[in-house]
Amino acid sequence: MKLLLVGCNYKTAPIELREKLAFDGPKLPTALRELESRYGCEAVILSTCNRVELYLARAHDQPLPDHGVIAEFVSETHRLPIEQLQTSLYAPQNTDVIRHLFQVVASLDSLIVGEGQIAGQVKRAYELAHEHGTVGPILHALFQHANGVAKRVRTETGISRGHVSVSSVAVDYVRQVFDHFGDKTILVIGAGKMGELTLKHLKDLKPHRILVTNRSPEKAMEVAKGCGGEAMPWEKLDDALVEADIVLSTTGAPEPIMTRRRFSDILARRAGGTMVILDIAVPRDFDPRIHDGDRACLFNIDDLQRIREQTLQERHKHIAPAEAIIEQEVTRFENDWLRRRHGKVIALLTQEFETRRKLVVEDLMAHLNGAVGPEDRARIEYAFRKLQNQFLHGPISALAEEAPEPGRHTLLEALRKMFRLEE
Amino acid sequence: MLDFLARVTIFCFAASYGVALALELWHLVQPRPILRYVAIGFGAAGVLAHLFYVVGPATGGLSLVAPAGSLLLLALILSIFYVYGSIHHHRVAWGLFVLPIVLGLVVLAVAFPPAATDSQGSLWSLFQGEKFWGATHGVLVLLAAVGISVGFVASVMYFVQAHRLKAKLAPSPGMKMLSLERIDAMNRRAVLCAFPLLTAGLGVSMVMLFSPGAGAWNWSDPKILSTLGLWLVFAVLLYLRYGVHVRGKQAALWTMVAFVLLIVALALPHPLLGGGP
Repeated sequence: MKLLLVGCNYKTAPIELREKLAFDGPKLPTALRELESRYGCEAVILSTCNRVELYLARAHDQPLPDHGVIAEFVSETHRLPIEQLQTSLYAPQNTDVIRHLFQVVASLDSLIVGEGQIAGQVKRAYELAHEHGTVGPILHALFQHANGVAKRVRTETGISRGHVSVSSVAVDYVRQVFDHFGDKTILVIGAGKMGELTLKHLKDLKPHRILVTNRSPEKAMEVAKGCGGEAMPWEKLDDALVEADIVLSTTGAPEPIMTRRRFSDILARRAGGTMVILDIAVPRDFDPRIHDGDRACLFNIDDLQRIREQTLQERHKHIAPAEAIIEQEVTRFENDWLRRRHGKVIALLTQEFETRRKLVVEDLMAHLNGAVGPEDRARIEYAFRKLQNQFLHGPISALAEEAPEPGRHTLLEALRKMFRLEE
Repeated sequence: MLDFLARVTIFCFAASYGVALALELWHLVQPRPILRYVAIGFGAAGVLAHLFYVVGPATGGLSLVAPAGSLLLLALILSIFYVYGSIHHHRVAWGLFVLPIVLGLVVLAVAFPPAATDSQGSLWSLFQGEKFWGATHGVLVLLAAVGISVGFVASVMYFVQAHRLKAKLAPSPGMKMLSLERIDAMNRRAVLCAFPLLTAGLGVSMVMLFSPGAGAWNWSDPKILSTLGLWLVFAVLLYLRYGVHVRGKQAALWTMVAFVLLIVALALPHPLLGGGP
């Protein structure tokens, strides 16, 4: 098995170059077919916003193209001067390719460690290559194994634990306060771009109703229309707060719009339970002193960012155990592959001996011409079979012992030559 | 088989609960699902041993008359609640909240060993003859005690969750909790179930006290006073919840006061079931 990877990622190439190197639309199937027809190798192309990688494989006795040739192929496909690419491309081979793919699929090589999208993207890249017939036994085995590695790392470590986007962290907090949302009112204050994704996540909770207020009635109407809510005049902000259970504030006001005193009056008018305020405006819209963790839970952008950082830090603690799993899996994959190859040789060897033994026994029986009874015949057959097994025991054991040492195939080749074994 | 059941002691189930609690604490530090499952296993084993102890030959049927009997029965029901909760919401750290209460009740039961006269009031014999109403009172109060204890667990959970929210801590995988709203609803339901049971239990005892042939009762008996105090706290709690819409920490605090009074009431010897003063 020979493996080559040529690619770049967010660490080695700027976004401008990655955009130019992306295999999007019809470029991908064309490139896959070209790689197969030109170089006669198996090929999978992984093209995401953070990386572009070409995985190539050939059988052990066939040469793979040089990485410079593949770099030229990439340059030609994207019509970019090769000089522009060379410093950004990496080209690991064989075991390093296996390790790299496992790190990628387990999200250890991602911009945000532990993010869940990459495993799906790798799977999709494999499926696309499979659809276009550029996946052979090597890459099939490698990508199937990679899929299992991603699952193992995710379940056995905390690498993907917690949320890291501000909007997901915000919704996590809302879920710590509320259990059901069918009777809840969400109030959106302002129309900041920052709040759009958070509002989308909150809307997914299927609240009873969404109120939108803004200094500009037109903007309030626009946001309300976009999220299926009701616009409220800015002057009725306090009334809206009395009714609200979840508040998303994203105004561009230069000073806090809600002081502690004003909020105390609102709390006194409220009959409902806890109010969660997600203040993701900069500068902040709500006085942070209103937060008491009981009747009012206020989370501003700093809190949400801090929790995001904590989650990322926590994930980084799981990198070492994840790397250990990957090392185990790299060894396991290589050993499995070698055993699979050795298995063929062992089967051929056994078959060869089996055929010769039968011929010798039949020849002997013909020579004896019925002088032995069925019992003696069985005894003779048993003796020859035992002799065959004793002969084969040594070579088969030696092959099994050689399997854990990837890269060494001397014994395998020797056996092939000695016994003239043809696949 | 009976020999085996007779060998079940308080230590058997207390140790099981202790191991389950230790595993829950371990899970808090190093969250691994297997720890939670093993903890539930130990908890379930504890429940089984506890049940054998309560109804089995070791005690000859546990007495409700003695504080030890009431406390052990309450601990048994709470440990069943723990196992059920842990299976139903296996990600929630029930054990951290319920098991310390269960172990506390067991320790209290050990601290109040059964008196010599207790054997006359075994669980089943209490429902026979003239003792029927006394037993009915005891069972109603015990069921109310379960509600109060669940309310207490919910109150402690509420304070912990409110503290986590106030400190703006990231959700911890080792200590997943129900939402603040769910905990408050759990507290409310527990109190709502417990109050009618407690009222009915006290009603039965009042009928018994004023019935012809009843002896002279000492109204200053600490058991009677603490039980009446408990009922009053409950009445105030319900008024605060539904009359002036008090929620959250205040409601949780009142439930905790009710629980303390309940423990006092249970720990004191029973004048009605024990035959009166």
